Amino acid sequence: MTTITAGAWAAPAADALVDAGIDAAAFVPDSRLDGIVSRLLEREMVVRTLTREEECFAYAAGRSYAGQVCAVLLQCSGLGNSLNALGSLVVPGGLGIPMVVSMRGTLGETNPAQMPIGVATPALLNALGISSFAVRRPDEVVPAVEGVVAMARAGITAAVLLESEIGGGRDRG
Amino acid sequence: MIAAEVVTTITKALPDALLVASLGTATSAVRAVTDDGPHVSIAGAMGGAVAVALGLADARPDVTVVAVVGDGELLMGASTLWSVAGIRPQNLVVVVLADGVYSITGGQPLPAGCQAAAVAAALGLPSATADTAAELAEALTTATVIEATVHERVWPGPSPFVDPHAVRLTVRSRLGA
Repeated sequence: MTTITAGAWAAPAADALVDAGIDAAAFVPDSRLDGIVSRLLEREMVVRTLTREEECFAYAAGRSYAGQVCAVLLQCSGLGNSLNALGSLVVPGGLGIPMVVSMRGTLGETNPAQMPIGVATPALLNALGISSFAVRRPDEVVPAVEGVVAMARAGITAAVLLESEIGGGRDRG
Repeated sequence: MIAAEVVTTITKALPDALLVASLGTATSAVRAVTDDGPHVSIAGAMGGAVAVALGLADARPDVTVVAVVGDGELLMGASTLWSVAGIRPQNLVVVVLADGVYSITGGQPLPAGCQAAAVAAALGLPSATADTAAELAEALTTATVIEATVHERVWPGPSPFVDPHAVRLTVRSRLGA
């Protein structure tokens, strides 16, 4: 049984994405991201549910070729699916894409299968030349989101990592 | 058809279309036929070309976007057909160069036949197969996913290894972005 409770930070995070002027968002579902997506839809943002995370980055790259900024929202396990799209399309193309990553495999994780990618996420991003910014307190979320959208406008792809301490979205018995 | 003939037919039927070419034969063919025109050539990210085209089409409903992709490329990102079926942009066409092999790596066969048109049809997308340039020209007026049969593998000429920054700047300039 899974209950989903949005963190109080989720709506402000979505508002920050909208107010920073993103044109769209692409995502593969994740419970911690649900609150952000719900608020994005309330704000009438274009949100596309796609089938795979690397597809989200390719889709966002297409938007970037059109001069737009498309955020990608994903669980960190999906980063493993995305390395080639990031490394051979997004980064070398200077196609700035703001990433909001819901972390698994960090403090309090109870699923061993989530551990390796969760532990490796900052290092994987760093190896591709992508900066990541971990947030653990609700008041850190909005500035981090604003920062990565601003970086995307300059052609720099960077990630906000929503760490487990921030809470919201996961309560499994 | 050969790959270059497929691209020539596309540019004649849809002269204002923005092309998105996947790595390999498609990129070389688009470069050759358009004389390095302002199109999106993807130098990597195998499996991502249709999704790039989907993003472009979604961003710019006023622009016809044609993804020109190899059949091996399509298989690596085949689930994007489901995304296309969900979004159903009216300004996107996917043309698959169906030769049954991975051309750029030496012509190794696909694990199974392409079947792009049949899969697209199952997803409710207008689709067609085209064995000749005339059939392709007709399909370009009606179909979202077209399986264009490539009977003979002929390398179009230019290198598929493009400068990604040049592509970005050229395409944004074309789109006034």
